[in-house]
Amino acid sequence: MSGNRNYDFLIKLLLIGDSGVGKSCCLLRFSEDSFTPSFITTIGIDFKIRTIELDGKRVKLQIWDTAGQERFRTITTAYYRGAMGILLVYDVTDQRSFENIRTWFANVEQHATEGVNKILIGNKCDWEEKRVVSTEQGEALANELGIPFLEVSAKSNINIDKAFYNLAADIKKRIIDTSKTDPSSSAVPVGRATTESGGKCC
Amino acid sequence: MESLGEETWDVVISGTGLSQSLLALALSRSNKRIIHLDKNDFYGEHDAALSLQEADAWAQTYAGGGAAQQLDQPHSSTNGTEVPVAGPSGAANVDNSTTATPPSKEGSSIFRNAHMWKHSDAEAKGLSFPRAYSLALAPQIIHTRSELLSQLVSSKAYRQVEFLAVRPSFFIYCTTDTNGAMLARIPSSREDVFSARNIPPRSKRRLMTFLKFVIDYDSDEQKPVWQEKANKPLSEFLVDKFKFDDEDLRDSILALTLTLDEKITVEDGLAMIHRHISSMGLFGRGFCAVYPKWGGVSEIAQVGCRAGAVGGGIYMLDTEVSISEQGNGSEVTLNLSNKASIKTTAVVSSQQTCSAETHTIARLVAIINSPLDSLFDHLADHPKPAVTVIVFSMDPPIYAFVHSSDTGECPEGQSVIYMTMKATPQSSEALDGALECVLQVLESVPDEPEADVLYKLYYEQGTSAREPVVKSQGSATMFEFPSPSVGLAFDDTSLDAVKEAWKIIMNNEVPDDEFMKFEDREGMGDDDDDVSD
Repeated sequence: MSGNRNYDFLIKLLLIGDSGVGKSCCLLRFSEDSFTPSFITTIGIDFKIRTIELDGKRVKLQIWDTAGQERFRTITTAYYRGAMGILLVYDVTDQRSFENIRTWFANVEQHATEGVNKILIGNKCDWEEKRVVSTEQGEALANELGIPFLEVSAKSNINIDKAFYNLAADIKKRIIDTSKTDPSSSAVPVGRATTESGGKCC
Repeated sequence: MESLGEETWDVVISGTGLSQSLLALALSRSNKRIIHLDKNDFYGEHDAALSLQEADAWAQTYAGGGAAQQLDQPHSSTNGTEVPVAGPSGAANVDNSTTATPPSKEGSSIFRNAHMWKHSDAEAKGLSFPRAYSLALAPQIIHTRSELLSQLVSSKAYRQVEFLAVRPSFFIYCTTDTNGAMLARIPSSREDVFSARNIPPRSKRRLMTFLKFVIDYDSDEQKPVWQEKANKPLSEFLVDKFKFDDEDLRDSILALTLTLDEKITVEDGLAMIHRHISSMGLFGRGFCAVYPKWGGVSEIAQVGCRAGAVGGGIYMLDTEVSISEQGNGSEVTLNLSNKASIKTTAVVSSQQTCSAETHTIARLVAIINSPLDSLFDHLADHPKPAVTVIVFSMDPPIYAFVHSSDTGECPEGQSVIYMTMKATPQSSEALDGALECVLQVLESVPDEPEADVLYKLYYEQGTSAREPVVKSQGSATMFEFPSPSVGLAFDDTSLDAVKEAWKIIMNNEVPDDEFMKFEDREGMGDDDDDVSD
C-alpha cells in the first residue's frame, strides 16, 4: 500500500441508463457542482472523482460514465468489471427511459459482480409540467427490483449528493465494514519496470 | 434507426478485433469523427472471448469450411452429446461436393471446422450458467518486454486491464520407463538450472552456457556464432554448437520458443527464446509474461473501444457494412445493415480470408471441473500464476495452456485448457489425446481431485496475408489489417500495421513519436496505482 494516499477506501461506481436521461449531468453536478443544459452526447468523460467523508473515513468515489456506448447498446463487458455500485438512471419526463430500466437491470445482473449495490434514480424531477412517470411508479419499480430509489434533479441540485452518499454508504456497509473485500487479486503491475530488471536470471 | 447525420465521417472502422481497437485507442484524442462497428453482436472479432451461449452460436456459424467437416468423434464422446454440425444455411454439409476443399484453404474464412461437445451430465458435474464462462478464441500470452504493454502504459489504457502472471517455467510432458508419464519443469533461468534434480551436471553446464549465449545472442560478439546458420533448423544448431545430444533437453529448449512448427529456424528460435528469458523479472520477480484477465487480448480490444467512445467515437455492434458507391471521388458511401447510409473518407477493416502460404492451426478449448491447483504452484515471493504452459514435444508439437479461474474465464473450482497445434488431418484426435494425457498425469498427483471435461470447442484458425492491404478509392483510403497471428505469444509485429493505419488517418498532422502517448484523463495520479487492491 502506498503511504501517501489521500483516501481510506476507493469505491468504483457506474452510471447506467438510456441516452439523454442526464447521467453525465448527475455526474458533473456531483463531482464539479456544475450544470450544462445543452444536449450534447457525452464526449471525453471517462470517469470523475470525488472524495467524500463517511463515518470519519475518506472514501474516494470513482464514478464511470457510459461514454455514449448506451446509445446503441454497445456497452463493453469490461465497463462493468470491478464495479461496486451502480446508479440506474431514468428521466421522469421520458416514459421509455423508465421502461428500459428493466433491460438495464438485466444487463447489470448479467455482467456486473454478484451482489453489486444498486440504486434507482429518476432525474429531472424539477420539471413537473413535463413529468410522465410518477414518484409512486418509480417507488413501485424500485420495490419490485429490490433496490433503493430517489428522485433527483441535476439542474436544480436536488438529492444528487444524497443519491451518491446513500449508495456509497450501502457499499461501505456491505464490503468495508464486513471486510468482505474482493477475493485476493493476483494482478501484477506492468506500469513500471523494476530496477532488478531482465537478464538477471543469467 | 437514429440518424447518424449527413456529415462525412473521418474514419469508419469495421470490426472490433485487437488491431482495429488499438487504432480506435490511438485515435481517441484526435478529434476525428469516427464510427466503429462490428458485424457480430460481441466485441473482439477474431480475438473475442465468448460466453458458452455465444460459443455455441459461433460454432454453428463456423462449422463448415473444409475437408475435415466430418469431424472425428472426440475421445470421450461415449458419454457426451454430439451437436450436429450445420452451416449457417443448414445445407452446406448435405452436398458432398462442398466438403472436398483441398487443404490449402486459400480464400476460406479465418475460422472453420468448429465443433462443440458437451458432457451429457455436464450440469450435474458442475457446468455453470453460460455467462459464467468467457472462452478466448485466440488466447495469447504477452511477454513483459512486448511493445503492446509499453503502448498500453503510455496511452494509460493499462489502468483498465488487470494483468495476471504466466507461470515462468513451462512443463514438458514426458514418459519414462519407470514412472510412466510425468510433467517435468523446463529450466529457463539460472536458478531453475541449479535446482533441477533431473539434469546431469554435464548438461547443466551446457544449459548455463546456452542461456548466457541467448541473453546477448544479437550482439556483435555472438552473431558470428549463429548467423551463417540463421535459416537452418534450431534443433540441429543446438546439437552442433552446444552439444545438446540429449533429446529431452533439446526438446525443453525448443519448447521455450513456443513454436508450433518443429522445424523452427535458428534465427526465429533464438529470437523467441531471447524474448522469453530477457522478459523475466522486468515487472517483478517470478514471471516473464502476462495474460489480461477476462479473456486475454479481447479485454484489451474492449478497453481500446471504450477509449474510442470516450473520445467521441460512435459504437455499433451487430451491424454489417458494405460499400455502395464511389461517391464524389474524395469519399465513399457505405451502407450499413441497419439501413443507415454514411459517407466517409477512410475505411479500416481486417482481412477475412486465409492466404495459401500461411499455415493453419487447430485449437481445442476444454472446460475442466477441477481447479488443477498443482499446476499453479509458485514461490512465496512470486505472484500466483493464472496461466500454466504444458508442452508435448511431438512432430508437430502440442501446447496446453491451462487457465485457472483467476482469469475470470470460468467459475471458481474449475479451469480452462486451451490446446493448440498445427492443423493436420488428425489434429482433432491428437488434441483430444493430449488433453486426456494432461488429465491422466494429474490424476497421479496427490491431492488433485478427479477431473472431468465438461465442455469442448474444437476449431481451426488460419491467417490472412501478413501485410495490411492499402487501397485508394478516389482519394478515399481503404485499409485492411492482417488477421491475428496464430502464435501462442503476442507478436509485436502486428502493432506496425496499427501505427501505419494511424499515420494514414492522421495524415502526418502529428509527429510519429506521439503515437499512443496520452495523459491520464482524470484524477488518476500515482496514488491510484493500487486501484485494483
